[in-house]
Amino acid sequence: MKLVGAERLTTPGLPRAVLGILIGALIGLVPVGLAAAAGLAISPAHLLLFGYLGGLLGWLTGIGAFRFWIAWALGRPIDPAEEHAAHGRAGDRSRYFRFTTDHKVIGLQYLTTFLGLLFVAGTFALLMRLELAAPGQQLLDRDAYNTIMSTHGTLMIFVALNAIVGGLGNYLVPLMIGARDMAFPKLNALSYWLVPPALLVVLLNPLFGGYDTGWTAYPPLSERANLGQQAFVSGFITLGVSSILSAVNFLVTVAGLRAPGMRISRLPIFVWSLVVTTSIVLLATSVVAAGLTMLLFDRLLGTSFFAPAGGGDPILYQHLFWFYSHPAVYIMAVPAFGAILEVAPVFARKPLFAYPLAVASFIAIGILSFMVWAHHMFVSGMADFLHIPIMVTTELISVPTGIVFLSALGTIWLGRIRFASPMLWVFGFLWCFLIGGVTGVYLADVPTNIYLTDSYFVVAHFHYTIVGGMIFGLFAGIYHWFPKFTGRIFDDGWAKAHFWLFFLGFNATFLPMFAAGIEGMRRRVADYPPELGPLNLWISASAFAIAVSMVVFAVGVVRALRSGPVAAANPWRALTLEWQVSSPPPVENFERPPIVTSGPYDYGAPLPGRSGRVPEPVGARR
Amino acid sequence: MGLEARRHLVIAGAIWAVASALGIAAVLAVGRILPVVASREAGIVDGAFVLLTAVSVPVLMLVVVGLVYSAIRFRARPGEDGEGDGPPIHGHRALEVGWLVVTLGLVGFLALYGSIGLIEIRGGERHDLRVEATALQWQWRFAYPDLGITSKELVVPVGERIQVTITSRDVVHSFSVPAFGVKMDAVPGRTTTVTVTPTEIGGYGVQCAELCGFGHTRMTADVAVVSAADFEAWVAQQRQAAQP
Repeated sequence: MKLVGAERLTTPGLPRAVLGILIGALIGLVPVGLAAAAGLAISPAHLLLFGYLGGLLGWLTGIGAFRFWIAWALGRPIDPAEEHAAHGRAGDRSRYFRFTTDHKVIGLQYLTTFLGLLFVAGTFALLMRLELAAPGQQLLDRDAYNTIMSTHGTLMIFVALNAIVGGLGNYLVPLMIGARDMAFPKLNALSYWLVPPALLVVLLNPLFGGYDTGWTAYPPLSERANLGQQAFVSGFITLGVSSILSAVNFLVTVAGLRAPGMRISRLPIFVWSLVVTTSIVLLATSVVAAGLTMLLFDRLLGTSFFAPAGGGDPILYQHLFWFYSHPAVYIMAVPAFGAILEVAPVFARKPLFAYPLAVASFIAIGILSFMVWAHHMFVSGMADFLHIPIMVTTELISVPTGIVFLSALGTIWLGRIRFASPMLWVFGFLWCFLIGGVTGVYLADVPTNIYLTDSYFVVAHFHYTIVGGMIFGLFAGIYHWFPKFTGRIFDDGWAKAHFWLFFLGFNATFLPMFAAGIEGMRRRVADYPPELGPLNLWISASAFAIAVSMVVFAVGVVRALRSGPVAAANPWRALTLEWQVSSPPPVENFERPPIVTSGPYDYGAPLPGRSGRVPEPVGARR
Repeated sequence: MGLEARRHLVIAGAIWAVASALGIAAVLAVGRILPVVASREAGIVDGAFVLLTAVSVPVLMLVVVGLVYSAIRFRARPGEDGEGDGPPIHGHRALEVGWLVVTLGLVGFLALYGSIGLIEIRGGERHDLRVEATALQWQWRFAYPDLGITSKELVVPVGERIQVTITSRDVVHSFSVPAFGVKMDAVPGRTTTVTVTPTEIGGYGVQCAELCGFGHTRMTADVAVVSAADFEAWVAQQRQAAQP
């Protein structure tokens, strides 16, 4: 059925959602208008707040996020055909642009949205590196630099938090545990459709004057910053709500929808990583949302939670912020650990080494991640007695993180390693995260932290952990599951060109930043002393190698989708459940619930391993 | 364990031991990591840098040797075992426990060493000279309450213990003198302190290390460490300049 004109705007979908933003924003502005008419002082901040809230609800209504719940609440029967249509039909491209409840569609919606955002935020990074290519001012004044830097940081944090969890997680978790979908498919779709308005409002922050506080938004600076700061707060809180909804969904799904025989001792390690991650999301996100809401109150209502003039304390904000934002580092890293440990056994053709210990280490990371936040605050002026316990817990978290290395190295050791493109990213991850981990010790240790904090050493360190960890894990996963997602094989030459350009470009960009930091170069500056010029020129040039690699990736994806060879169900001969169904899987995943009779990593079993025997896929006996 | 598996372990272990020894020797031979060490505190920080780097060499080498050795020796060759699997090893109890014990031991050592370093750097309340540093968007102001003078640059006598009390008039800034190895935030509504003993006469810089808005990049000031006699002369000159 082809929709035309007015009909397009009355049926749930993107056109109606865009119209919904406009109508919702107008309705949202009504109370502000009434307040103005009553003689109350209103400011652009009120317009933005109420306009955004109204626009957000209008968008969700327009896309059709509430229609089933509204019908249910009014006691109206829900048309099964409509509910079925919301799940989508195989081969129907329009389902990717609708409120679709199929977890595979939602997974790919998340993945493409955040990959797109990765390109946008990466472009911001290139602008920064152009400015920093030489001492003095190049193309950005300091206000523009601060806004670009802040927006780059904020958007990349969003990518790191959501690309694996929302993208790979949504697609794979139900398949890996033998379920037909997530526990709450409509809630899942709502989680995704909260994302676009949040990203849009943050992206549009330059229209509101930008903001110059980085992604950390420390008050009092953030209380004085332009209206762009409020755009940041609005987007951040919206994404927080989306993350919490999605976390509940993951936890219930894994707890309740596992196929017969899928004991927790047989859960794929990637599923375990998401269980831990979403538990952290559930427990920590509300704390930062509270902190940001208090910031908003200080800005809009004249409270003084963080304003010293009214008796508030700026350090309280830092505690609230980092109480979420350090665990958030593990929200980014643990799913990457899961993806890496999922991929390594397939290409080493060996069982995952020390699986129970790896699971225990994930859980330990999850618990310890709540006890280390104040290592971001060693020079903040917080009480001195906090330094030593926080240093100890910070160093302690390296023990479970070390288990990830034990598990990966133990898996690779004595294996029959195939260097297909996913395995290259596994090796790349191990190198980069090793550098991130080792340099992390200098930041955990209080004496060296005092020297290094807020320097380029920190910039290098967190890019090694977040890009070296999360992004390498993401690409290991994307190349590994690309045939499953798309039904196409990614060209090996393009994949390897992408890896080597990215890997070499990344190391050439970020290794020298450790040196810049030790030389005393501060982070978040638009300029630096002339003697650091040559080093920074080298860094800027290398950053463009990363950009080129991402173009190679984009071309490779387009080529594979248009003309890649058709993928078999199980091209890597892996044993987990998602490989036992067609590529891409049917809409209902499994015709009948699979019965699981063995573990996900029984490679080489039974003996002997050298006989060249091809194992049959034992993960799923129907 | 099979004979061949043991052979791999012995060879890789030997490479690791040699690489680690060479690496540690190189770190100790270089002996200094910070570009400028102009205070007692910077000396402590530099010592910590050298020790942490020496400790991290064997850790780094363990993973690097493991990865490179595996990539070369355990790569599936086309034609030879190309489709085969590796041995079905699910774990190794002694290795897992040993790994945990060693990493826990390392953490214990680092935590103890870091705690001692922190106590050494703080070094108690005793001081010879007080300086009040005030941060505001976007400049530094220094006052010497016991001498009754103010200044736009930080001038301190060599060898004396200086207590800097730091306040901010507006947003969070950070008082950072890389050559002294000290850094402390300037928080509005609070007073923070650092104590530092300069050991080398020379010119250095103080820079704001916490993002504080538009002028953050340019929020720097000069630091001069001078002899006791030069300091007296500078104080006299400042007093004279302050007279009408």
